[in-house]
Amino acid sequence: MQCFGSRELVDNVIRQDLCIGCGACNDLCPYFRSRKGTTVMLFPCTIAKGKCFAHCPKAEVDLDELSTTFFHQRYGTDPLGHYDAIMMSRAGANAGTASFQAGGTVSALMRFALERHYIDGAILTDRKGIVPTPRFVTEPVDVLACASSKYAAAPTVAAVNRAIRKGDTNIGIVATPCQALAISKMRSNPLNDHSFIDPVGLVIGLFCTWALDMQAFESFLSRRIDISTIKKIDIPPPPADIMEVFTDKGKTEFPLTEIRQLVPETCSYCIDMTAEFSDISVGVVEGQTDVNTLIIRTDRGRELVEEAVSAEYLVLSDMPGEKVEHLRWAAGNKKKRGLAKAKEKAIINKPAGTGISYLRINDETLNTICP
Amino acid sequence: MSYLIDNREGVQHLLMGNEAIVRGALEAGVNVTAGYPGTPSSEIIEAFSKIAGDRNIYAEWSTNEKVAMEVAAAASFAGLRSLCVMKQNGVNVASDFLLHLASSGTRGGMLLVTCDDPGALSSVNEGESRLFAKLVEIPLLEPGDFQEAKDLTTWAFGLSEKIKNIVMIRSVTRMSHASGNVTFGPLPETVPHAEYSCDGPLLDTETGPVISMILAAPELQHGPQQEKLEKAARLFEDCPFNTYTGPEAPELLIVTSSACNLYVREAVHLLEIDDRVGILKLATTWPLPPNLIKQNLMRADRIFVVEEVLPTLEGNIKILAADMAPETGIKTFYGKHSGHIPSVGELNPDIVVSALVRILDIDYRPADATFEYEAAALADTMAPNRGMTFCPGCPHRASFWSIHHAIALDGRNGFVCGDIGCYVMGTLPSGYSTVKTLHSMGSGSGLASGFGKLKQFGLEQPVLAVCGDSTFFHAAMPALANAIHHKSPFTLMLLDNRGTAMTGFQPHPGSPVDVMGEPAQAIDIEAICRAMGAKVEIADPFNLEKTQEMLNHLMEHGEGAKVLILRQACALSPERRGKKKFDVSVDETICIGENCGCNRLCTRIFGCPGITWDNDKKVSRIDTIICAGCGVCADICPVGAIRKKEVA
Amino acid sequence: MNSTRLSKDPYSVIITGVGGQGNVMASRVLGSMLVNNGFSVTIGETFGASQRGGSVMSHLRISETSSWSPQIPKGTADIIVSLEPIEAVRVLAAYGNPGVILLSNTRPIFPVNVIKGDAAYPSVEELKKSVRRLIPHSIFIEATEEALKMGNPILANIIMLGAVVGLNILPITRENFRTAIGERVSPDTVDLNMDAFDLGSRLGQQ
Repeated sequence: MQCFGSRELVDNVIRQDLCIGCGACNDLCPYFRSRKGTTVMLFPCTIAKGKCFAHCPKAEVDLDELSTTFFHQRYGTDPLGHYDAIMMSRAGANAGTASFQAGGTVSALMRFALERHYIDGAILTDRKGIVPTPRFVTEPVDVLACASSKYAAAPTVAAVNRAIRKGDTNIGIVATPCQALAISKMRSNPLNDHSFIDPVGLVIGLFCTWALDMQAFESFLSRRIDISTIKKIDIPPPPADIMEVFTDKGKTEFPLTEIRQLVPETCSYCIDMTAEFSDISVGVVEGQTDVNTLIIRTDRGRELVEEAVSAEYLVLSDMPGEKVEHLRWAAGNKKKRGLAKAKEKAIINKPAGTGISYLRINDETLNTICP
Repeated sequence: MSYLIDNREGVQHLLMGNEAIVRGALEAGVNVTAGYPGTPSSEIIEAFSKIAGDRNIYAEWSTNEKVAMEVAAAASFAGLRSLCVMKQNGVNVASDFLLHLASSGTRGGMLLVTCDDPGALSSVNEGESRLFAKLVEIPLLEPGDFQEAKDLTTWAFGLSEKIKNIVMIRSVTRMSHASGNVTFGPLPETVPHAEYSCDGPLLDTETGPVISMILAAPELQHGPQQEKLEKAARLFEDCPFNTYTGPEAPELLIVTSSACNLYVREAVHLLEIDDRVGILKLATTWPLPPNLIKQNLMRADRIFVVEEVLPTLEGNIKILAADMAPETGIKTFYGKHSGHIPSVGELNPDIVVSALVRILDIDYRPADATFEYEAAALADTMAPNRGMTFCPGCPHRASFWSIHHAIALDGRNGFVCGDIGCYVMGTLPSGYSTVKTLHSMGSGSGLASGFGKLKQFGLEQPVLAVCGDSTFFHAAMPALANAIHHKSPFTLMLLDNRGTAMTGFQPHPGSPVDVMGEPAQAIDIEAICRAMGAKVEIADPFNLEKTQEMLNHLMEHGEGAKVLILRQACALSPERRGKKKFDVSVDETICIGENCGCNRLCTRIFGCPGITWDNDKKVSRIDTIICAGCGVCADICPVGAIRKKEVA
Repeated sequence: MNSTRLSKDPYSVIITGVGGQGNVMASRVLGSMLVNNGFSVTIGETFGASQRGGSVMSHLRISETSSWSPQIPKGTADIIVSLEPIEAVRVLAAYGNPGVILLSNTRPIFPVNVIKGDAAYPSVEELKKSVRRLIPHSIFIEATEEALKMGNPILANIIMLGAVVGLNILPITRENFRTAIGERVSPDTVDLNMDAFDLGSRLGQQ
């Protein structure tokens, strides 16, 4: 892949409103920091090729290269990405309880992975008030505290960087598609560091159609409710089309059409709904509140799921064919929209030396999805 | 015992101009002295304070220059001799009272000593205090060498008592901070008695109340005030400090005053033109004595006025020359208006030489041209400029680091209104260029108060201001009161380094000891701000993370004016100077230097002079001679290569 | 005792360095020594930026008759004493001439733009060579290193003063120094200052 430095990152990502605030450039160095979802560069850095650029999921993402590294094949045409199996799942009897969204699959798997030392620590996303805040946990019981969905973009990858700097290895991560992409860029050792050892043991990806701009979301809510008393935020599966915010005073519903106004520009370029670069992807099932969609993508993912099932942390069921097709249709739509927009803005597949691309994708896949 | 009170008449000492002024005042029997610190004037009150006990003197660093002048004026009203001292900018602050004092007049001899700073060597501008003398109609004296700095000061007290008004003595950096031989006169043995006679009739200058109140009857006070000035002009006709040297009828008459006198002497000596030019050195530059000027104008048809900054003397002489033209003939003038002397920056002998060379058409080559060229080329390649920066261990560097971070992370393009102190360097890369306005003492808070009210017109940027502890008392308090009263939202970062650090660590109203070393009532800044109604937080700027978090919190929350006191003693303060809290070192095996992940943050960005870059080994190192041991750099190092170990 | 007369009137000496090096103290001690011997001395000091990393410079004018300009005319210095090597070069360019005598400490104090990497600091060996090509009379002394050996780097200024007196050009002596320093430092440090002065005198004569 083409690699540049902080100046190009600022010019081509941050200033172009492509930054989602995943945290990939944070805590690598003293120059990039983020606060309330906004990433800023504190001082100029003169290094020509930096990790900040190399790890960014919005800068020079070469899908073939990443796909080859992780799945040993070119980036294909299936909108769901490379996978092994798609099923439905929910937390099993031994997984404990919490205010899960849908089936509790993610919490169950992470708790199980920690308990069985499948991973040595986990980066999850907690929240302070309504600000999603990454957290590093090593105790299985702490997993449940971080359960429930966050809807604003979070600098979760920053916590991964921090853990790596402290020397942590075999880290498990729950990541949104952009965060998972950043982590996979990092794991591909883009700067060819000879001493590089992959510090990541497991990535559980979350389905995502968009995230909210943190500051816009905060100001939207604070004009309507007392945000200091928020207990939980939920978006019930389609076709409900609302966001539910639970406070001391009960539940407030906001139509998603209003909430979608708070989605940053960058989400409209995103082509990944199901977190393709992960070991396991988890999402909702349309029309069902008590079960998740589970996509197994790697051998490591399969192994974990099988053990979790036999330990009764997870219960699996088959996913009806029409639901899989619906998911594929939805994922394909997102890809198509994102690619079309990137084409329109001319930030895709620029010939080397003519500028920086947001994304590089092979012609076959591009033409299949977005002719 | 200080040499300043050496009572052997005729003894010579090497005195700084400021010390010569002090000795002159001592020989005049001064009792009360007050000022506000400001380079190049600060040594004067310092010197008085050191001999306060020996000579029965009261010295104080006042809250600001206006108060200093009022304190000194009270002594004059009570019949004592007094002196107030300030730098040029301070005269602006005191000018409100000065205007009224010049109207009411004084009793005991009273001097305003102002130290101007042509070239702004240590000022934010090169303002002109001389114009105030003309504006408020009081006499102005300017010593032309070090002996005169003493003698003229002594003489000025007598003048003040003769005309019953304040007299201004103006020095400049090259007089105040330069030194020369001074021969001492006797110190008087007087027993002062202070009493304010105020029971007499309203306008009785001896026994009545001292008031400045014209009330539609300008002839009652303004008239007598002008008569005082006329009397001064008459006295100046015979003033022994106005001197002429040179031939009876020179080709060119040079008129000069102050330090320029020394530059002129040097230039004439270098050019060996003593027989061609005459030098009229004036010590009494306002009002000008007309007969003396006339006699000297008669000497030559060409007149060259040498003075610094504005053409003040030049203008005043030209006005007289116009009136005198029927008697003296038409003169040709050289100076600022002719372009021979710049109106910007300080002068030196070379500028005077080049002007004289042009005026007199002299063939003069000042230096060996080859040497000059080669030496300049060597300096260009080998002597990189020495930019100003905060001292090693300075709390301001740490404060501005956190302020810069907080503003960047806040993301709304916040800015800092600056104020006067070492922290003016917040405008420069050494302060991470965070300060975006800079004017006079206290103006940062006043501007911030105004910016804060622009929200209704769409200003969304967070507004911040900085000011030091001494500046807070001097002029920021009224601005803060304004902001609090009007609910103007801004965050004032009060950089409390426990003294008036920039000018040499003078005490201020927050200090527990006064300039004479006497216990003083220390006023609690935090309590004042709270009592005024501000939300107040306190942080140690050396705790970078906490400071930044507090700032971000203050910028985002709460209404009205908020104060964050950043409290840490100046690195040059008595409590910190020469005492390292930490032994700081760099672990070369950990330092990643120019690599991704650091890129020399400590040397390239943080910029403390105590850290240097080893370009051979590509690692940072601590210069242990320069390092002040604050340990802040250890907290910014991204990889923990900078180690700090508490000094036992 | 050295000569009791000046070889030139006024005779001009510059002491230069960086804030915090004791430059002003050195110029005042030297000035007092001369005044005590009956000379008329004028000292001009630029120390507004002292302690903030700036250059500091004192101009001494020595005369048998009167005060002179506190700023030396360009190109007319007789002796330049520098407490820091690149300051020597800077002052040489402004006030030097082929006949000037230069005494310089060798220990660098890096300007902040050098620390930041925006400018380069020359190698001191290169600097010495270049200066020697420019003027015949230059003496470089490791004053800070010697002062560190004596326990306090600030003594570098006294070592340099000793070197100036050691040149046997100015009409002042070791005893003049003892008197002048005695008026300025606490009695228990006079001996240490004398040792630094004597060391400087020896180094200056080399």
